[in-house]
This record gives sequence, structure tokens and C-alpha cells, in this order.
Amino acid sequence: MAILSTSLGLTRYRVVEAIPDSLWRESPKRLKDNAFRDIDATTDERSWGWCNIDNMLDMEWAESPPEKGHYLCFSLRLDTRRIPPAVFKKHCMIALAGELEQAKAEGKAFISKDRRREIREMVMLRLRARSLPVPAVFDAVWNMQTGRVLFVSTNAKAKALFEDHFNLTFGLNLEPLTPFFLAASMLGGDAAIARLEALEPSTFV
Amino acid sequence: MDLALAERENTILGQDFLTWLWHASEARRGVFKDKDGREFNLRMEERLSVQGGDGEGLESAVVKSPSGELTEARSGLRSGKKVSRAQLRFERDPEAWQVTLKDNDFSLSGLKTPKIETNDRDDVDPDARVLEKLFLIEQCLELLDGVYREFLGLRLGTAKWTEETRTMRDWIGQGQP
Repeated sequence: MAILSTSLGLTRYRVVEAIPDSLWRESPKRLKDNAFRDIDATTDERSWGWCNIDNMLDMEWAESPPEKGHYLCFSLRLDTRRIPPAVFKKHCMIALAGELEQAKAEGKAFISKDRRREIREMVMLRLRARSLPVPAVFDAVWNMQTGRVLFVSTNAKAKALFEDHFNLTFGLNLEPLTPFFLAASMLGGDAAIARLEALEPSTFV
Repeated sequence: MDLALAERENTILGQDFLTWLWHASEARRGVFKDKDGREFNLRMEERLSVQGGDGEGLESAVVKSPSGELTEARSGLRSGKKVSRAQLRFERDPEAWQVTLKDNDFSLSGLKTPKIETNDRDDVDPDARVLEKLFLIEQCLELLDGVYREFLGLRLGTAKWTEETRTMRDWIGQGQP
């Protein structure tokens, strides 16, 4: 569990909308409805969704519920098939050479642009079928008392994926607590926000 | 407000805060107070980045100093740079936290909390370790937020901030050859 690591990278969020009381009751089902789906037996490049924070193989929350104290804990699992560019290039060369040989036998001297694209796509699918997806897991913790969310990563792509999937799952928008938004949430009110927006950089020399 | 539109404000607030925090932590010998009036210690240590200019003229310097002197970073401040990333150490007896804070998004990296005391035994709640860890993380965020709130009180009060920047200017100029 990444949240228990000795050294953590964290992004903090606030939920923009008011959180309906019923949401906490519905959340285990919402998590399951948007759980991670395995792609080991497919040729899909990527798959992502929620899994149990205690076990990335548990997409049914059979091992433990997502509620821990007053926190809702879950993980974003992202599996990706990565074909190294050099491997892809080599197999494209092999496939194109075979295709060219066949074309010559049929009296043609070249392979059309469209056919080359088709061959590249076929090679990619073949290689994907032979490669295993690499799993990555990012923990998330939602404080049900404050409504604040902690995401255990500072990676921009992981954050974007988390924000989108959170919105899809719960129908709520996340606002990262950057200096401006943290200040706005602390001060509250339009007048304070207008003052923050009018700030000019300070000069210390 | 659109996230991209807040980029300018994020950098202004983040850099002003971290630069102020460096000064404040030295001026007060690291002593701050939490929301309950309990004292804690906050210091910038070992690693610090300063940044100045913008666009193609953007310049930054990363300073690592195990002794905590950070002389090179201070000379960066004298040339108009501001703190863009800092390693902070919070201490509230007997506990200590360490975290690196980035200026423009307040992302937290390398957060080290005090050690979890709860054992991984069968007779304790299986969630006890996670709950203790979350409690420790939230304590650190609470201390950080308290200091940020204090900064905002100064930064948004025109007269207070003018006075504060004057003091900071003197501090930055100290030790100038």
C-alpha cells in the first residue's frame, strides 16, 4: 500500500460541489461499477479503474471494504502495455520485407502507403498480444468528514487520469489545492478571490 | 476560475510564501504556533531551489547543503530570484515530519512522517496502521496550512506586507560583500 511508504508524493484536492449525504452509501457500488478491468487476455494498450487499496487484484472489495474509519480508501490501477520502439521497428522491418518479397513475386515494385500503415498496425497488435501489461497503482484517500482528497502521486498524467475517473465515478469535480485554490478555500468569498486575482509579484531586492 | 488562469497567481503566491517562510523561519529561530497556540519548529533545510526571470530568461538554481547554510541560494535571492522549491522540516515534540514543497502547485514530495507505532498484529484493527499514517499526514498538512494562513494574512494586508517586505529586503541584503 503506497500510502504506508516511508516517503510519499502527494497531491491534495477539494471537491468543488457539495457532497450529497447519499454518496457515501453509494460509493462502494460506484467504485465497483468503475473498477479496473483486466486486459491480460486482450491486446488492449491500456486499462484503468479502481481497485481495493489493500489488494490490487481485488476489484470486488471482497478482502476489505473501502471505508476505513472516516476515510474512503481506494486505488487507481493503470495497466499499460509498452512495446519498446526498437522492438516495434525491428518487427515492422521484418513484416515489410516479407510483404515486399510477396509484392515483387506478384510483379509489383512497392508497397502502398495505406498497406504500410496496415502492416504497422498489425505488427503492433501482434506484439501487444505477446506482451504483458505493466501494472501501476496509485492510492487515493477521501476524508468523509472534511471532503478533502489525497492522491498519492504528483505525476501529471496519473493526476489527470485520476481527476477524470473520479468525476466519471462520483459525478463530482476535483480542484487541486494549489497556492491560489488553497488560499481561496481558506479565505472564502468573492471579495477574497478578487484580491487574490489582483496580486502582483513582490519585490524583495 | 479556470485552472490555467490561476497559473500566474499560483506562482506569485507559492514563491512569495516559500521566500517569506525562509525568512520567517530564520527570524523566529524556527518557532511557529499551531492553531491551538502550541509551539512547533519549522525549518528549511538541505535542499532549496530558487528561480527568477520568465519565459526564455527563466533561471533557476538548486542548492544542496547538508549543513543548512544555503549561501548560494541566498545570493540568488539578492539577484531577484525567489524560492521555488524547499525542503521543510516540522518538529513538534517528540515528532518530526519532512516534506518538499513546490511553489506553483504545492505538490508535496518526499513526505516523511514520524514512524508508525501500531504493530501489524492480528489482535489490532487491520486498518490501524493506515489510520495512524493518515492521522500523521493530516497533522503535517494542518501545520503547513496554519503557516500558509498566517502568510495570507500578511500578504493580503497592504500595510503589513509592505512592512514585511522591508524586513525581508534587509535580511536578504545581510552578508552582502
